[in-house]
Amino acid sequence: MRRTIAITVCLAVGLLAAATAPAAEAPTRDEYVAGLEKICKPDAEATQRAMKGARADIRAERFDVAAKKFAKATAIFGANVKEISAEPRPSADAERLSKWFTYLKRQESYLGEITAQLRQDRPTKALRLIQRFIHSGNQANNVVLAFGFHWCSFEFSRYG
Amino acid sequence: MRRLLVALVVLVGLTAATAQGERAQRGNLIVTLDGGFAPRALPRDRPAPVSVRLEAGLRTADDSTLPRVTRVELGIPGQGLLSSRGLPTCKPRRIRNTTTAKALEACGPALIGTGRMVAQVKIPGQPAFAVHARLLAFNGRVHGQRAVIAHGLALRPPTVVVLPFLIELRPGKFGTVLTAHLPPNLGPWPRFAHFEMNLHRRYTYRGRERSYINASCPLPKRVPFAPFSFAKATFTFADGRQISKGIARTCRAR
Repeated sequence: MRRTIAITVCLAVGLLAAATAPAAEAPTRDEYVAGLEKICKPDAEATQRAMKGARADIRAERFDVAAKKFAKATAIFGANVKEISAEPRPSADAERLSKWFTYLKRQESYLGEITAQLRQDRPTKALRLIQRFIHSGNQANNVVLAFGFHWCSFEFSRYG
Repeated sequence: MRRLLVALVVLVGLTAATAQGERAQRGNLIVTLDGGFAPRALPRDRPAPVSVRLEAGLRTADDSTLPRVTRVELGIPGQGLLSSRGLPTCKPRRIRNTTTAKALEACGPALIGTGRMVAQVKIPGQPAFAVHARLLAFNGRVHGQRAVIAHGLALRPPTVVVLPFLIELRPGKFGTVLTAHLPPNLGPWPRFAHFEMNLHRRYTYRGRERSYINASCPLPKRVPFAPFSFAKATFTFADGRQISKGIARTCRAR
């Protein structure tokens, strides 16, 4: 009997802890922004380094060189989105952030497609996708404008 | 047909996105930047005359009073060549305290653009109000440096502002930079809120047709168009804060 009570109490405490844990862990918007900016800063700088001269490469018809740079940027972008999407989100901003991540995923997919088109020596298709990539980036920025992101916001000038 | 529909939807989406301009926020300050150039199709191998429109705005997220701007910096790409050879210049003192008509009378031959500006005025103890000014831009020189002299005239209350934007060439994506320092003698109350400027001037010098702004779209034959970093606006405030926004646009090669 005592053993049953002890197990029940343990289970109840465990369930209670599990139920309250997400609420206690949910950060404020400011904490969330500070946490994400720390993650995004090195990635944004790495993107800038990886993409240096990519637009000049396209202008000079060095599409294979540009493709390699875009492939690097795609890997950095993908890893960044994966890392920041795992961070706990402020509960009041859940819907807005989910929309933001939708745009980020779309950008990631465009980057992959741009790389593929450049590898296949199709600059026009790649450039059309770059326009869509920029458009999605601007849409992503608008969704989280109030967050005041710097490193986590989209800046076309970081891409070559 | 489906392809055409998809293309139209994408085009409408892109146009809608650029019509509002791109925004950035730092703290409760929001900066907006929009603009474009015409014609969009430019020669690949030589600069051609263009007109450039730039529109920038500031507001606060909570509608509180804007902080005082002390410096405005506008960057455009190096391939946007500002050429003022043979174009008359206007000295700022010639248009100080003048109406738009008098400014045109004094410096009309140096006119390179027009626009408008909105300032927010907050006098202590009174509700804030907006001042709308008409802008004229003249080709000029300040202490030997090339400049765009902006003349703003508001009718209510009657106010004239003459603001030189010094032109500098710098390395980097925005190779041509226009910088204006807003003097403290403008007073503590007017706060810069919005401006729109269209720069365009064709003129003849030594029998040759010239243009104040020229641009090319330097792409190889196989690349018909490409996006590029078109402009960047940076505002510095009296409290030391800074906010900036860059925008990209696409040029088409012909």
